[in-house]
Amino acid sequence: MDWIAVGLCADVPARTVVPRRVLNTDLAIWCSTAGDFHAWGDRCPHRGMRLSHGFVRGETLSCIYHGWTYDGDGACVSIPAHPDLVPPKSICAAQYACQVADEAIWVALQPTQAPVPVLGARRAIRSMDVALPAQTVAAKLKQPFAPVIALGGVHDISLALQPSSDADCLLHAFAAPDQDRKTVSHALEHMRNELEAAA
Amino acid sequence: MNQSIKDYWYPVGLLSAIDAPHQTLLLGADITVGRKGGTFWVKDAAGNALPTIERFGHLWTCPGTPNGDLFTIPEADNPGRQLVDVGSVRVKCSPLRAVENFLDIAHFPFVHTDILGAEPHTEVERYNVNIREDANEVWATKVKFFQPQAAKSAEGGITTEYMYRVASPTCAVLYKTCPPRPGEWDVITLFVQPLNEEWCEVWPWMALYDDDSTMAEMVSFQQLIFMQDRSILENQIPAKLPLDPGMEAPTQADLTSVVYRRWLKKIGYFYGAQLVAA
Amino acid sequence: MILYNYVLSASCYKVRLMAALLGRHLTLKAVNFHPAREHKSPDMLKLNPYGTLPVLQDGDDILTESVDMLRHLTADHPRWRGDDDRWLALAADLNNSLGMARLHDILQYDVDIDAARAAGIKQLRALEAHLTDQRFDGHIFLTGDRPTIADIACFPNTALAPDGGVSLDTYPSIRLWMRAIRSLPGFIEMPGIHRLHELEFAT
Repeated sequence: MDWIAVGLCADVPARTVVPRRVLNTDLAIWCSTAGDFHAWGDRCPHRGMRLSHGFVRGETLSCIYHGWTYDGDGACVSIPAHPDLVPPKSICAAQYACQVADEAIWVALQPTQAPVPVLGARRAIRSMDVALPAQTVAAKLKQPFAPVIALGGVHDISLALQPSSDADCLLHAFAAPDQDRKTVSHALEHMRNELEAAA
Repeated sequence: MNQSIKDYWYPVGLLSAIDAPHQTLLLGADITVGRKGGTFWVKDAAGNALPTIERFGHLWTCPGTPNGDLFTIPEADNPGRQLVDVGSVRVKCSPLRAVENFLDIAHFPFVHTDILGAEPHTEVERYNVNIREDANEVWATKVKFFQPQAAKSAEGGITTEYMYRVASPTCAVLYKTCPPRPGEWDVITLFVQPLNEEWCEVWPWMALYDDDSTMAEMVSFQQLIFMQDRSILENQIPAKLPLDPGMEAPTQADLTSVVYRRWLKKIGYFYGAQLVAA
Repeated sequence: MILYNYVLSASCYKVRLMAALLGRHLTLKAVNFHPAREHKSPDMLKLNPYGTLPVLQDGDDILTESVDMLRHLTADHPRWRGDDDRWLALAADLNNSLGMARLHDILQYDVDIDAARAAGIKQLRALEAHLTDQRFDGHIFLTGDRPTIADIACFPNTALAPDGGVSLDTYPSIRLWMRAIRSLPGFIEMPGIHRLHELEFAT
């Protein structure tokens, strides 16, 4: 998988940050005040605190522990304990390629030239956690394991798979634009129950 | 000479609360703590009695061969102080991370907002840290910070002075400005019981000058402060405290923690620590 | 009004938070719940024979259930009421699952921890499904676009789930709902729920 969907844009509004585990790598996905998305390693280089607990001000993300502040390029621009210090350039957050397409946020854990998977004419519904590995979900849905699987059906659902750990995953669900979102959401709940039931 | 981790004294109970035998963990091994009449006892998994000390309102034990007495805090014996059993809390973190957090002040405006610190008063001025060889302890002195509410007894914001003392690898003592009695220090301690390398039980204790607050209020204040730290402690990566530089970037404000880590390495105390910058 | 309070109690926090959001003053009386078990002292049992916290005293009225306290505080604030029975029932369930898991992990309460966490996850998923439906309708709160006692009753145990080993990472609608509550004017924190620093800019 080159690009992996990690969330819906609607779920990470401006000035918010969320944690995402992708293939056992912990990420902090955040959106700046101006609407720019970033995917960073979920670890502040200072004392290892999760950046996903931090706060967004302007175009920066700050760590909640000591307020160390990082700009959109991942560079540390402020250390509150030393307001006059220009932070050394070596202090920076681990960055991953991040793109927005089709109302979803996509991340590449390794540099890639591949294009972001295309969802087509779909509307974002919701993200849903499943207590099964992503490969198992695909297999149970009788689909090949791929970044996006098309279930079709009456709602014309597509699922962007996010393998999280070895035991769980997130499904980012999309449907045909004319479908009632609540109906699709309830259908997805039902699908999850069935997937998790026959263990 | 590096002392084995088993040869230190560790807190395992609150004297006022020990009654029926209670099973717990120390350095990954089962122990049982109990009381018979007025005598407190600790037994290992095989039923052997371990040595005990009763001090600072807590029961202490040593799973190995004690290397001397448990440290003392002379100020605790001053008349007129309130001796406060804060009560233990369990945290899923390395015992060493719990101590290091206790030694840190730069987090006050962000974690203990409007109590121990507030923006924009975030600057940490230079302070002194050294290892006192005779006692084999780490001391930080001349630490100061502006605090909106330094203690239950404080009325309004003050610049608080601090001294930190690491009295053993998992026990730290904080001496801070005493609002009702300028010139005296309030004493706040963090005694950490390593359950295993990534899980600990924290026993805070205090000896304060405060004639106005109730015991419940003093306990509440300290529990509030510690529990604000808990959600930080349970979200630091890696779980074990890195003792080698390279993984984490300290600054001048982190001097106490830098010296603490260097001292742990020097005395060979690696329980809850990792050496390799993985 | 006097609230007999324990600083780490999620149920006490419901009442403190409600009062703060209404701008109503509560006199807090700290009770040494842990380690001294003061809530079971003869004086406290005289006040509340159930031996629980919180206890709210308003003149001659003594209330011992947090739900009753929320209703009492909002008696003259109809905008804080709504279609809440279902949510107050969920709040009680969250107390018994996530709340107990938290007390197990922090204070070593004797709890079937796996069962508590599993029940909590089921309830969180139901909450996520409902809040997602709400967002489709353009609402952020449980019963509409205004917060009610339903939200305040469910918020603390949900927000403190990680204290009991239950992650909130994968519930986007719950996270946005919690953020909306934490952004309300007058919101107060409790340990385990940080201030939203993004709401204040450093000078």
